[in-house]
Amino acid sequence: MSVPAGEPIIELAGISKTFGDRDGRVVAVDKVGLRIGRGEFVTLVGPSGCGKSTLFNIAAGLADPDPGGEIRFAGTRRAGRDLLGKVSFMPQRDLLLPWRRVIDNAILALEVEGMRRADARRKAGAMLPEFGLAGFERHYPHQLSGGMRQRVALIRTFLFERDLMLLDEPFGALDALTRTMMQRWLLDVWQRHRRSILFITHDIEEAIFLGDRVVVMTARPGRIKLDVPVALPRPRPAHVATSAEFLRIKTKLLDAIEEESMKSFMAAGA
Amino acid sequence: MRFTALVTAALVAGAASLAGTASAAEAVSVRLKWVAQAQFAGFYVAKEKGFYAAEGLDVTVNPGGPNLNGETLVASGADQFALAGGIENLLASRGKGLPIVGIAMMLQRTPSAYVAFNDSGIRSPKDFKGKKVSTFFTGAHNTLYAVLSKFDVGAADVTVVPQAVSMAPFIDRQIDVATVMLFNELNVLKTRGVKDFTVFRAEDYGVSFPSDTVIVNEKLIAERPQTVQAFLNGSMRGWKYAAEHQEEAVDIVLKAASGLDRAHQLAMLAEYSKLMVADLGTEKGIGVLDMTKLGAVRQSLVDRKVLDAGVQVGSALAPRFWDAVPTQYKKP
Amino acid sequence: MAGRVLALQVGTIAACLVLWEALARGLGGPTAVMPPVSAVLLDVAANHQVLLRGVLRTLTETVLGFAAGAAFGFLAGAAFAESRLLERLLLPLLVVSQTVPVIAFGALVVIWFGNGILSKMVIAFYLTFFPVTVNTLRGLLSVDRQRIDLMRSFGASPWCLFWRLRLPFALPAIMASLLLGVSLSLVGAIVGEWFGDTVGLGIMLVQAMYAENLPRLWSVVMACGVLGAGLYGILAAVERRFVWWGREL
Repeated sequence: MSVPAGEPIIELAGISKTFGDRDGRVVAVDKVGLRIGRGEFVTLVGPSGCGKSTLFNIAAGLADPDPGGEIRFAGTRRAGRDLLGKVSFMPQRDLLLPWRRVIDNAILALEVEGMRRADARRKAGAMLPEFGLAGFERHYPHQLSGGMRQRVALIRTFLFERDLMLLDEPFGALDALTRTMMQRWLLDVWQRHRRSILFITHDIEEAIFLGDRVVVMTARPGRIKLDVPVALPRPRPAHVATSAEFLRIKTKLLDAIEEESMKSFMAAGA
Repeated sequence: MRFTALVTAALVAGAASLAGTASAAEAVSVRLKWVAQAQFAGFYVAKEKGFYAAEGLDVTVNPGGPNLNGETLVASGADQFALAGGIENLLASRGKGLPIVGIAMMLQRTPSAYVAFNDSGIRSPKDFKGKKVSTFFTGAHNTLYAVLSKFDVGAADVTVVPQAVSMAPFIDRQIDVATVMLFNELNVLKTRGVKDFTVFRAEDYGVSFPSDTVIVNEKLIAERPQTVQAFLNGSMRGWKYAAEHQEEAVDIVLKAASGLDRAHQLAMLAEYSKLMVADLGTEKGIGVLDMTKLGAVRQSLVDRKVLDAGVQVGSALAPRFWDAVPTQYKKP
Repeated sequence: MAGRVLALQVGTIAACLVLWEALARGLGGPTAVMPPVSAVLLDVAANHQVLLRGVLRTLTETVLGFAAGAAFGFLAGAAFAESRLLERLLLPLLVVSQTVPVIAFGALVVIWFGNGILSKMVIAFYLTFFPVTVNTLRGLLSVDRQRIDLMRSFGASPWCLFWRLRLPFALPAIMASLLLGVSLSLVGAIVGEWFGDTVGLGIMLVQAMYAENLPRLWSVVMACGVLGAGLYGILAAVERRFVWWGREL
């Protein structure tokens, strides 16, 4: 069905994750299989609490899956924690460190990697204008708006140059205009550097606009419900959202998501 | 910058005070029963005038303070000598098994007395009955109970409360009778202009509890009796000098404890000397162990069942060192 | 703005002093617990050398005891944060140690630590280290899981995690305990001087109390206050300048 671009950078097979003890077990993720090709841009949508973040933590090496599943990274079978330091991970909250200036928050990952501070600052400083943060390098996070903080977090993620990037709703807190700009910028970076991206979003149009494929997860326990290729030519102009293909995919996704949302709504009400 | 300089100065001062003085003389220390003041002038004088050095000793005078007990410190070996409490404290410590021995007694008479305002209707210790009386529980309470027993007033007939380091509760009439040391609190009352009160001296009722015992560890007596003798020679000489040159003695004390008030210290030394150069102290010399008097105190404590009958004056005191102090050092 | 606040502060202090003077004179008499402020200031002027010597000595004891207490408290807290086993074994002992009323055991302090500056330092240390230990431990453990995960995803080692995340995160809590600790250190140094000394604010307090020299008592109390406020002020300034992010966490 799906058309992976080249060999997979990461391949998850039969991945499950159960929380809690014998008294109260919650299956967050249930036998998920997902492959992301090298250079492929995959977007992930699903109702709240469907285990997207759990799947992310597993892919980043922060959480071990239940025994039985298999993770292959760049062709090699890996235990979960082997992925630490190999995947560029951006959580939903910006998680900036309040005692560091903008520039020093941006270079956090580079510092951890051992790069000289001056070099790292030069590298990050060059990116600030592109992110609309020119002149803010010496500001502290509490002096910035939510959108600006998010962009600092984005620079931090991008500077941690890894083949696979996991982005958890990175543009959720941005205003519409900035969001559009950041989307374009992200696509541009992605096309130039050909990194593989797994991108979580609530916004279906964003998912279609950005992705090579859109993956829909079911309500808890999270499974893969749908995996839709987006056969729209790139670069995609803004009016691609009015094309017949775009609308066809959107309708299909909306139907699937509505079904899952109803399920989780009923479950919560029960 | 100025702060840095301040801290540096403070550190240097601290380091300097840490460094001891090297000397060929034998180093010993004496623990006082309270903070440095004229009550201990003789020891400071002996050190300053070189009386200890003449005996081959390098003496450190360690001040006392609240919750600091000379009996304990000498028993533990932290200090070789101490100017401790009254004879009743020494006997009580012996009763608890502390290996300490008295070698001299600075005050021949009871240093404590009681004060009551004239308008309180209290004319004698007999009238303490049913009143609120405050006293120091560091020894003076024994004297109080001894005085009361002379008037057939039992401990239960009086409300006895611990006395704070202040005469304010008495002045404010929160208590009817307060205890005073003749060489300190009585002067405080006079200085503060308090009038119309009566002083009841324990001594006037035949309660004579000598106080301010010079004590030493039994072990030191056994191992280095010559050190004990040397310390006592120097101390008695210092005390005789202090009693006879009070202005100079107070100035020497003020050098050690500069924050003190000179007039107050002069009055203290004058009063202290009166209690020191009295009775057998006048007849035989400063610091004498009046065995007859001390035996009587022991008997009164045993009679009141606050002292174990097994504690003997003979083993608690070693008069031979005082006896061996040259007469010119002690006879006023 | 800062100038106006300063003027207000100075004004408030001046008003308090005037009120003090008026009350002491109005309600005065031999039993007055408060001597007029003019009498106290005269005493300060007359004894400024003795007072300064006392301040320097007490300051030395306080600073040394505080430094030792802060260092030990930090190391203990950090060790406990790293090893919960160590915490379970040793923290109860430290808690018990704090229930010992050190002030009641003057003789013991002298027997163990002598008559020098060390015994005062030890008491200052003893009162300081515990709050620092507890706050260091709490601060280091309060770092949120997500930030730790983020650092781990960058491949951070435990050492790197400590220096770049845990420690800065804990600093506001540690700083708060240092502000408390420096006041306690001063109390410790003052109390330590009661156990046999001739120099220092603590011993001057006892002397003044025993002789009921009220102007002296209050001039020493004022010196203690100035010293305590000064030390606190320095630390508070350090906090404002270098550890200001407590409310941003």
